[in-house]
Amino acid sequence: MGKQKIILPPDLPPEVSEEEIQVSDEDLQFVNDNLDYAGFVSRLDTHSITKHVTRVADLKEDALEALYEKRLKKKKALQKDEEEEEEQPGIRVGHVDTLPVKTLDGQLYYRTLLNASKPSEGEGEGEERTNETDKGVVKLTKAERRAKLKKSKKEAKKQTKELPQDEVKDNPQRAVLAELKEDVTAEESFETKKCKLAELGIALLADPESNIKLLKEMLQMCNDGNHAIVKLGLLSLLSVFKDIIPGYRIRLPTEKELEMKVSKDVKKMRYYESTLLSAYKAYLQKLMVLEKVSLYQHAVVRCICTLLDAVPHFNYRESLVEVVVRNISSSDEVIRKLCCDTIKSLFTNEGKHGGEVTGAAVRLIANYVKAHNCQMHPDSIQVLMSLSFDEDLGRSEAPDKDKKVRNKKYKKGNRSEESSHLQPTDRKKSRQEMMSKMRDEVAADYKAASFTPDIMERRRMQSETLSAVFEIYFRVLKHTMQSIVPRPSGDTGTTHVTEAHPLLGPCLDGLAKFSHLMDLDYMGDLMDYLKKLACSGGKTDSSGKCLTVSERLRCCIIAFKVMRNNLDALNVDLQDFFVQLYNLILEYRPGRDQGEVLAEALKMMLCNDRQHDMQKAAAFIKRLATFSLCFESAESMAALVTLKHLLLKNVKCRVLLENDPGGGSVSGSVAKYQPYASDPNQSGALASVLWELNLLTKHYHPTISTLASGISNMSAAPTQAYLSTLTPQQAFRDLSLERESFSLKSNAAKSSNKRKRGSEGVTASSVDRVLEKAGSLDEDEVKKKLSEHYTLLRGVKENERLRSELDRTTRALSLYDDYKKQKKQKRRRKNHVS
Amino acid sequence: MRTLDEKETTQVFEKLFKFTGNNLKNIVESPSHEGPDPDPGRYCFRLCKNRVYYVSESLVKRATNIGRHNLASLGTCIGKFTKGGSFHLTIQALSILAANAKHKVWLKPTSEMSFLYGNHVLKGGLGRITENINRGDGVVVFSMSDIPLGFAISQRSTQDCRKLDPNGLVVLHQADIGEYLRMEDEL
Repeated sequence: MGKQKIILPPDLPPEVSEEEIQVSDEDLQFVNDNLDYAGFVSRLDTHSITKHVTRVADLKEDALEALYEKRLKKKKALQKDEEEEEEQPGIRVGHVDTLPVKTLDGQLYYRTLLNASKPSEGEGEGEERTNETDKGVVKLTKAERRAKLKKSKKEAKKQTKELPQDEVKDNPQRAVLAELKEDVTAEESFETKKCKLAELGIALLADPESNIKLLKEMLQMCNDGNHAIVKLGLLSLLSVFKDIIPGYRIRLPTEKELEMKVSKDVKKMRYYESTLLSAYKAYLQKLMVLEKVSLYQHAVVRCICTLLDAVPHFNYRESLVEVVVRNISSSDEVIRKLCCDTIKSLFTNEGKHGGEVTGAAVRLIANYVKAHNCQMHPDSIQVLMSLSFDEDLGRSEAPDKDKKVRNKKYKKGNRSEESSHLQPTDRKKSRQEMMSKMRDEVAADYKAASFTPDIMERRRMQSETLSAVFEIYFRVLKHTMQSIVPRPSGDTGTTHVTEAHPLLGPCLDGLAKFSHLMDLDYMGDLMDYLKKLACSGGKTDSSGKCLTVSERLRCCIIAFKVMRNNLDALNVDLQDFFVQLYNLILEYRPGRDQGEVLAEALKMMLCNDRQHDMQKAAAFIKRLATFSLCFESAESMAALVTLKHLLLKNVKCRVLLENDPGGGSVSGSVAKYQPYASDPNQSGALASVLWELNLLTKHYHPTISTLASGISNMSAAPTQAYLSTLTPQQAFRDLSLERESFSLKSNAAKSSNKRKRGSEGVTASSVDRVLEKAGSLDEDEVKKKLSEHYTLLRGVKENERLRSELDRTTRALSLYDDYKKQKKQKRRRKNHVS
Repeated sequence: MRTLDEKETTQVFEKLFKFTGNNLKNIVESPSHEGPDPDPGRYCFRLCKNRVYYVSESLVKRATNIGRHNLASLGTCIGKFTKGGSFHLTIQALSILAANAKHKVWLKPTSEMSFLYGNHVLKGGLGRITENINRGDGVVVFSMSDIPLGFAISQRSTQDCRKLDPNGLVVLHQADIGEYLRMEDEL
């Protein structure tokens, strides 16, 4: 027999005193009817039964008492908790399967309801965790994830200790129905799997060489059916790989090497490398497969991007690059952002991978642009802005040739020199030869070992990348051109569905950045294209859509930037773009077009330090003055700043400030101002007068009025050396921000801050005084006064109306009286006659 | 004095077109405010003793009162017909050409004098040049302060100019305002 577990008999039902028992009438009746059957109850020997029930074999009195006491305690706790909560019946898992736990007090606790409690508690936790993981898949960083994995493992360990405290609480938590039974097992397995993943990961990180097999196990776990587990598995594998992967490309040993006899260390290393590589390959294949499944897309893309970012030098990077580039134009914001960031970091951290991946990535992007016919998200081209090239890439050919020529000459000279010298002794020669050989060998070894590619190699790669980049840009330009050229269609009444040009913006930016590396032959073509794009708005037929004003302005800006970058070649005056700008200023509409682009165009083209044609400058001055009259303060300010700049620069244009139209000899060749001329040179603006400035001095915005009056006071003498530092873009920005919070009262203070110019016009101070007076009024007073005024007005109106009615009625009455009188008279006359 | 016939008109317009391009219509159709008439008339071309003149209509009307042998000149002379029948533009056409020029070239101050003596323009003397000039285009030459100095025929396109070495020829001189002094008798 031995010492068996002491199983206490079940509890007796609670004692209820006789008086409290209330017997219903029905019961009484039943008993009375069936006296025969119910009779036995009175004959029961209660005492022997209780003795029989409560006896426990082989137990001493004290131990029995202790056990009973324990049970009482438990029951009391149970009752208390039961009173607190309303329970549903739960499963009682028998405590035969689980070992008891000893608390610090030395008491034994049986883990009876562990499974019922754990899932309900773990369920709540697990749900949180899965929610976290679902969100955390995207947002948690790797460090956090690893910490979380470690934490989950620690928690699993802690749970065994925590149980006794939990148990007392959990026992009553029997919130488990029949359906939840399955969840119990699922949650339990989820927890165990998580712990297992964490364990594997930590073991791998601790000692990768010996535990490399564990990688396969982790991969196995990723084949699970549970989504959360798969995601967690992928992410944990990601962090493991990131740390394990060495800093070099693994090259599997060839057959010949395999046949050789090698030391244990080398064997171990080889085994390690091959396992690592095969596991990595399997991992990547799994990632590729799962990428198609939309459920895992975020996690998978995140894995791929992080891998590419961290280890771009390792094997299989081409497939990674391919996936990333494919997703660069995805409609999903998160994925796209991840991929673009990765590619940008690839481009900027060229040291990690030696530049080959850059070329491959750019070429892939070019292919995609071609395949999608330029209908991609602008971010996909924006990444190209982070490329950087060697500055002397454009002139790589010439110095080499020079060098070669020089070398030849030098060699020739050397030979002639050498022949004139005496032959050095043999020993010296051999020593020299040996030294030079050694130097060469060292250099070769160093080059092989070092990771930086040869200069020529690097140059070649960069030229390839650059050509791919320009291919992209020119394709976008061509595509834009094609979509705006009006196609000859049968009936001109139809309007074509236009394709958007999403890529045009970043394409232009990229061109501005890289134009100085372009071959000069293509410069002319580029200018041609840009001119056609800028002029495209002129066509007003229904077929073929033109570019927006902002896009055209951008083309002009870019053309000027490109010109500026190539200033060393030739100083070219871009006549046509000026004509375009002249017309675009008229076409600008504040709601539809972007004011910042206009301000930038003004700055770029007019405020530069270049000399302008007098007639052209005057034309722009006049048109800008007209423009500033028609639009809001921000655009006006930008225009006025440019105007001032032009007037300061071109002294001859100050004749526009004189009150004498018709110019005379100063007006150049065109005698009269043509406001609708499309060519600035033909406008004859030197013969006009800037009367708009006079109107602008009465502008409601104090800054503008000050500026206008300042300009009017500019003298015609060429000694004005004061140049404002405000650019039109700055002016536009300042006033457009202010526009939102503009109010007459507060503007008084602001205008004093904004006044950067030394001269303060008289008009400005009077405006100030008025504003201050307005500020001191009380709102209520105004309200009262206004209400009084209006009631008075209303009363007066009422009065008038009533009066007019009265007049009308009195007149009607008098008319009637007259009529009556006349009738009477008529009757009397009739009577008299007859 | 007589009007130009068709052949002569085409010759004159062709020559002018080389310099002005589409702005030719400005020359032909610009309203003239000369004279006491309230309505502005037009400018027209008249031939007198093998020279072509650009005159306003009101002036032409009054000039018919002067005899052929007494009429020395009227309006602005823009060119003359040679004995062989071809038309050459003279420097006096500069005012209307400069106003309507399509292609312009600006000279650096150092090379202005050289051009005014009748020499061709080298790349080193070039200050600024308009875009998209082709070979053989008519070009008006300005100084950096926008004073028209004369006109010329371009030898190279703008693209080629970029790659040229500083001693290469950019434009071939045709007429300059120094001729007023040098060739006073022939004008």
